[in-house]
Formats: sequence, structure tokens, C-alpha cells
Amino acid sequence: MRRTGPPSEIGRLAAPVAGLLDAGWRRMHWWVAAMAVLYSLSGITIVRSDEAAVVLRWGRLVGDTPALQEHGPGLLFAFPRPVDQVVRVPVKHVWEVQVKTLASATVNSDSASGLDPLTQGYALTADQNIVHLDMVARYRVRNPADWAFYGPKSDILRVEVTAAMVRSLGEMPVDRVLADGRKQLIATATHRAQAGLDAAHSGLELSSLELTRLTPPAELATDFDSVQSAFIGMETRKKEAQTYAENAIPQAQAKAAAAVQSAMAAAASDLATANGETQAFLALDREYRAQPAVVRERLYRDAVERAIGRASTVRWVPPPIGGNYHGFRITLQPSGSRPKTGDPDEGGGDPE
Amino acid sequence: MGDALRTQRWLRAVVGALALAMIVFQAMAVVVTEGHTALITRFGRPVRAATRPGLHWKLPWPIDSASLLDMRRRVYETGHTEMLTRDKKNIIARTFVVWRIGDALSFSQAIGIDGAAEAKLDGLLTNAAIGTLGGHDLSALVSTNASDLQVDQIESELLTSAAPIALHSYGVAIEQIRLERIALPEENVTAVFEQMRAERRQFAAKFQAEGDREASRVRSEADLEAARIQAKGAEEEARIRGESAARVAKTYADAHRLDPELYRFTRSLESLDKLVTGSTSLILRTDSEPFSLLENKGGK
Repeated sequence: MRRTGPPSEIGRLAAPVAGLLDAGWRRMHWWVAAMAVLYSLSGITIVRSDEAAVVLRWGRLVGDTPALQEHGPGLLFAFPRPVDQVVRVPVKHVWEVQVKTLASATVNSDSASGLDPLTQGYALTADQNIVHLDMVARYRVRNPADWAFYGPKSDILRVEVTAAMVRSLGEMPVDRVLADGRKQLIATATHRAQAGLDAAHSGLELSSLELTRLTPPAELATDFDSVQSAFIGMETRKKEAQTYAENAIPQAQAKAAAAVQSAMAAAASDLATANGETQAFLALDREYRAQPAVVRERLYRDAVERAIGRASTVRWVPPPIGGNYHGFRITLQPSGSRPKTGDPDEGGGDPE
Repeated sequence: MGDALRTQRWLRAVVGALALAMIVFQAMAVVVTEGHTALITRFGRPVRAATRPGLHWKLPWPIDSASLLDMRRRVYETGHTEMLTRDKKNIIARTFVVWRIGDALSFSQAIGIDGAAEAKLDGLLTNAAIGTLGGHDLSALVSTNASDLQVDQIESELLTSAAPIALHSYGVAIEQIRLERIALPEENVTAVFEQMRAERRQFAAKFQAEGDREASRVRSEADLEAARIQAKGAEEEARIRGESAARVAKTYADAHRLDPELYRFTRSLESLDKLVTGSTSLILRTDSEPFSLLENKGGK
């Protein structure tokens, strides 16, 4: 082997390595070339559909704004390490975490009536009532760079959500919390928690906050229930009264209308009768004027006949002598069915 | 043969240069990734901190050495601490902080490169909390009156009382301090329960009374309205009947006026008709019509 340069210590020391290198190259130069190519391509990364990637060049983020830093799904061309480093972040994935910091312990074996704040989670409402709540928070990564390098790795979601909820509950009285204020409570707490997450550069987005349980202390459950049932009772009584009113007024209207109707009917019929009778009278009057004596006689006789025919008892007495009855007596029996008339023979009447 | 020799020499040069570059890079380059700071020490004495991410250089070992500090924010929750508010109410509060290394040099000196900063923060935060909450009433934390609430102010007071000390003494930058928990000492809870129970009873009674009152109001209003409607109906009825009676009377009067004598006569006959019923006894003189006929016959 010809020496290519002046002989030196370095050359002598390197000789075995050079020999190894020469031999290696001669036998495996294709392999070496292939390895070099593979290395140079090793920076190319596939970003999956639910991910975003950021590229660090010499440790520093490539791109000035978050939009430029973030690379969507697909092939991402980058230099091999140690120049570039690709960090993939699952931005589409939604995580779920149960926040139980304000929840009551599952089994309260404590016989004491107090609640130990260390073991029992609860929060105070604005009117200093105690409520327990279980929360479920869903979140995802919104800013991959913050999430990957700057934000807190753990706990941030739980503590921010707890703090936001404690604060929001402190503004709302218990009756609103347990009834119609729930939506507003969640909205305020979500808003506050998100502000905290942003301030901590967590890169997280709280996509939803759910109250899976929201209860007063177990000791007071019956008291809260009784208020509930009193409320329902109140509504029921109001509704019953309303129903009563809805019936009573139409009934009164119907009664009044019926009375007026019947009065009108009676009036019409009375008038008709009067008209009829008047007509009859006028007709009679015409006859009467023509032959007064005959008509009068007939009417009189008809009436007397009818009267005699209808009367139960008819007695006859002779006309008195001298125009007066003396000592003539009529005895009426209590039953009234057979009044005795004076009868000279029987002594009932004693005409003299 | 000359070609092979040239390739060999070229190859040797490339490999040698690469190896040299790698050695130099390893010894002198410091790659500071995002969210980190490299602390560079010369013979063990910290000389500077490379805070900007990117490629930095140092002298090779053993002169300079570099260690990376994680500058990422961290969360620390204090313990539950009992304290007194300005209005002398006992409460148990817990705070959390979001902190990061603010000054890598003083942090590494006060706490160490991966020391437990949190143990040092705990005392500081607890003191700040006791001091700050002692200056506010409980109603600043929980109140139905929005103008009483001062949580923002309390949190910023906590921050101003703790953050400068933390940065100065430990190189820790505190970014947020928040009240995570506001609770009551266990022995006070019984009183709160009593108060809550009394409040519930009051509510139940209120609903009961309101239901009664409202129901009776609605009922009596309905009754009143019904009576009013009926009275109006009765009035109308009376008016109709009165008018009708007047009209009927007028009708009769108009007719009878034409012949009062006949009217009197027919009315007498009608009265007779009405007066004589099935239980009437009639006593007639034998000389009255029509029996006078018999009498006359028998008499003649």
C-alpha cells in the first residue's frame, strides 16, 4: 500500500481504522449508501388525521405564529435529527376527566354530623349553604405548542375547573343553583375556567363542563325534598282553584242566561195569551153589542151550570118568607165533605 | 487503480471530517428546545442562562457544562389551611398556583436544578393567604350581593404579596394564585346545617301559605264574579218580567176599556168558575135560576 502523505503519528494511529473502513467500504458500500439515504429521509413524518404537528429546528419552533407553526394531517417534510424534531399532538381527540374535588365521599361512615373538608368535597353557595357536586369536564388541545412545551403537564384542568366552580357558586344562592340557575352556573364556571387555562398557557380548550350530580348534604335531603313537595302542593292548589274558577263563571253565566231566557219565554207566552184573550173578548163584545140580553143569559147559565156540576154538594133552600131567614144555621163538618144544610125536619136548620 | 485510490482518500477525509464535527458538536453545542433554558456553568459556577430556544455554544468540557431546566408552567396546590376572615369567621381555604422558573440562575442556586420548589412555596402561599383573607370579610368570597364579592381583588392581592418574594428569593415566577376551595371547619358545619334546615322549613311554610292564599283568592274572586253575573241575570229577568206584565196589562186594558160592563160581567163569571171547586158546597134557593122553573111548575 502506497503512503499518501508524510508519515506521522496520526497516520499510524489511524491506519487500522482506515484499513477497517476500506474493507467495509469495499464489501458494503451499497449498504452504507442506502443507510445514508434512509437517514436523510428519516425526518419525514406522517401526521395522522386527528393530529397536528410542530417542528423544532435546533430546538426552536419553526414559524412565527401559531397558524404557521401548526401542520395539519398528511406528510410533513423535515430534516433528520438532530436538526429537526417533529412533535405530534392529538388535537382532535377529546379527553374526559371526572372532577371530584367538590363531591361528597362515597361512603360517609363518619358518625359525626360535621363534614370534614379534607375528606368531603363541597362548596359554599352565595347564601352560605353547602352543596356537593360531581363534574365531568371534556377538553382538547387547542394550541399544540403551548400544550407541548409551556403549559402545565397535569392537574391544571382539575384545579382551574374547581376554582372556577367554587367562585361561581359563591355568587349564586342555593335555590337558584338547585333549580333554574344551573345552566348559568355552568356557563360562568366554564368561562372562568377557560380564562384560567388560557392564562396558564395550557393550550387546552374546555369543550364542555357537566354537572353529573348536584345535591345538598345528605343530612338535609329530606328538608330539601319537603320544600320541593310544598312547592308542588302550592302549584296544585293554585291549579285547582283555577279550575274551580274556570267552572264557576261559565256556570253562573249559564244560569243567568237561562233565567233571562225563561223570562223572555214567559213574557212572550203571556203576551200571546193576553192577545188571544183580548181577541176573544173583542169577538164576544161584538156579539154582545148585537144581542146583549141573549148573550148575557147564555154566559150566565153556562157558568152556573158549570159551577153546580163541579160543586160536591148542592142544597136547596126555599125562599124565605118575608125576605129573611131566622135561626137558619149551617153546620160545616170538619171533613168538609158533607156540610149539613139547614133541614127543618132533622133539626139542623130551624126556619121559623 | 488511481480512481480507487482517490475514492479511498476522499472517503477517509469525509469520515474523518464527520467524526470531528460530531465530536465538536457534542462538546460545544447546546440545543435549547422550546420551553427549556440551558444553564451554563464554568467550573461549576453558573455564568449564564441560555433562555432563547435554538442552538447555543459553550466551551467544551471540563471548562463549561450545560444543564437544561424545564421552564414549563407547573401547578402547585397548597394544603387546606384554617384561617380567620376580618369578620372573625373561621374558614378553611386552599389555593393553587401556576408557576414557572422565572430566573434560572437564582432558581438553580436557591433550589437546585431539579429541587423541590414547592416545599418553599407552601409556606409563602399560606402566609399570603392568611394575611390577605384576614383583611376581607367572608362576604367577599361568598355573597348574594354582587358588590360584596372581591375574589379578583383577593387573588391579585395574593399575587402581589407572594410573587415578588418568590421571584426574588427562589427565582420562581408565580403567574396565578387562585382560591381553589373555600370550606368551613368541621365543627362549624353543624351550625350551618341548622341554619339551612331552618331556611328550608321557612320556605316550605311560605309555599304552603302562598298556595292557600292564592287558591282562596282565586276562588273568592270567581265566586264574586259568579254572583255578579247571576245578579245581573236576575236583574235582567226582573226587567223582562216587569215589562211583559205591563204590556199584558195594557193589552187587556185597551180591550176592556171598550166595554167595561161586559168585562165586569165575564170576570164575575170567571171568578165563579175559579171559586167553585170539587170541595165546594153550594146552597141555592129553590127560586133561583134554573130551578125556579121546577118550583114554578110545582107551585102552579
